Amino acid sequence: MAENATAQLSGPGGAIPDISINPSTIISALLLLAIAYVAVRVAVFLLSWLSERAYEHRITVKMAIPITKLAIYGFAIYHILSSVAPLSTNQLIAFSGLAGAAIGFGLKDLVAEVVGGVVIVLDKPYHVGDKVRIDDQYGEVTDIGLRATRLVTPDDNLVTVSNQRVLNQTVANANAGSLEMQVVIDLFIDSGSDAPKAMKILREAAVTSKYVYISNKRPVTILMRDHPFYTMVRARVYVNDIRYEFKFETDVTKRAWEAFKSEGIEPPKAGVVDLGGGPAAGGG
Amino acid sequence: MPPPFKEEMELIEKAIKDFEEGKRRNIAVISDPFYGESELLEWVWERAGGGALKVKAGSLKEEFEILERSSAKIAIVEEAHRLYLRKIGGFDLMDRFINFVSSSSERLFITTWNSFSWKYLDEVLGIGQHFPMKIELPGMDAGKIRDMLLSGYEEGELTFLEEEEDETEEPKILKRSSFKISLLGERIEIPRPEVDLSSIRSRFHKGEEKRPPMEIFFGKLARISDGNPGVAELLWKEALDYPEVRNSLIDLPSIDLDLDDSFALNVILSMGSVDLADLSEVLEPTGTSAERAAALLEERGLVEIDGEVVSLRAEALKRTAEHLRRARLVW
Repeated sequence: MAENATAQLSGPGGAIPDISINPSTIISALLLLAIAYVAVRVAVFLLSWLSERAYEHRITVKMAIPITKLAIYGFAIYHILSSVAPLSTNQLIAFSGLAGAAIGFGLKDLVAEVVGGVVIVLDKPYHVGDKVRIDDQYGEVTDIGLRATRLVTPDDNLVTVSNQRVLNQTVANANAGSLEMQVVIDLFIDSGSDAPKAMKILREAAVTSKYVYISNKRPVTILMRDHPFYTMVRARVYVNDIRYEFKFETDVTKRAWEAFKSEGIEPPKAGVVDLGGGPAAGGG
Repeated sequence: MPPPFKEEMELIEKAIKDFEEGKRRNIAVISDPFYGESELLEWVWERAGGGALKVKAGSLKEEFEILERSSAKIAIVEEAHRLYLRKIGGFDLMDRFINFVSSSSERLFITTWNSFSWKYLDEVLGIGQHFPMKIELPGMDAGKIRDMLLSGYEEGELTFLEEEEDETEEPKILKRSSFKISLLGERIEIPRPEVDLSSIRSRFHKGEEKRPPMEIFFGKLARISDGNPGVAELLWKEALDYPEVRNSLIDLPSIDLDLDDSFALNVILSMGSVDLADLSEVLEPTGTSAERAAALLEERGLVEIDGEVVSLRAEALKRTAEHLRRARLVW
């Protein structure tokens, strides 16, 4: 008989109902997980769709995606444990032992990744939509899953970084939930050229760009650094949408160089600029 | 039918008196396009008598020396935002003006600015610090707009017609739409529902039918004009067919433009109207054709092109500002 084949474990005093792990219980649990999966996909699709139409609130809407996923899966697991397969104290102890052994032997990494995912959602070192650098990979966060975080790099590569690895890495977040982010634009000119004029032009190229964002908290800063054979002029300026980061840089550089040429500002002589970790590539 | 400007006149009056007593506070009158602030400047000029110089900023582009040569104690500069162009080298004249304002300690400057240009220039050049008295002309509510527009008419002189509804076409809240995805190399069209916000709004306002037609008309006029008296006056003239007033005001739909065309629209909004040549100077370096952009914006009903001048359409002001804020071109 099927009922005899099921595990019968009684709670102390028989107050807590016994669990019957039969095919029906397993199917119910699997069905619930499948429903949760579909619900997550639908919720992610709807929130992503909505965020793209929310213009300036895009990232705010996207922040809800990982929380929604966690909530749906959390509810599904809670429902399985509380309704479909309620556990008594003894069963819970037995299950914990089994789970501990399983985690210790084979699922350690998976559990660490899931815990990492929960920590990322709660601690918020970054959100979906942010531009981050993790593990030498730079790109826009497209998904924070329970197991891994996904980035799309500027070259349109999808990079998957496990959540456990994220927690052990230094994470650089360029915009931290804002739609605007700082872009650093370096231009190198010959030492003999008019550097103050170049700074003025670079500033005007930045503030007139269609991609620029300026406010009290997001000012435009123009810096100059002199080197033996060339001068670096640097703009620290904010782009109005992180997705335009490279277009912004290109627009400012192109128009600034056109103006440099018409004002007789020359590029450095060949071979004098050190871009490989020298002072020019450092902070300004 | 300009707005009464009562409070603004008092503020300017006080600033002029303070100036006469030795305390200078330059004034920036800041308003959205079409507001009608030139009436206020006219009053200031008359108030100042022969001791004031009144110039349009456009004429300073041709001959800045007008300002430098003048010995007038009060300088009224209209549309001061016309002293810049959003391009490399486009701030030189504005810099010169600001330097002149700062260095002319014995002269009071009363200036008017397009609000969108003002916000931009305040972030870029910090012009606000040179004009300690900022008078931002506020939006007007339906009651004030009604009082302003009906001030020249007797009570009961005009008949407000009720809005005629098209019974054959009931607006639907949920519309059928679709999107395409690629699956196994095939383009598949997937239907999806789309919510029509304007129909929700119109249903929400259905209760207004019980209100008098005049009240409905001015409520709608205030909403569409965003409280801008100049825009309201233009729409009023279109609706007025003396002695009847047709309630045929139409709320423009939301604007959908790409970034290049939105930027062109932003340049036009920041000036109110702009020469095609100036628009071209701003857009050409970014790779956008001014003629093409202006033609597209005209086709969308957002601007009008009159010869070589591209102007924002008054009824498009509210939607344009909303769109540009969403696109983060206006901060």
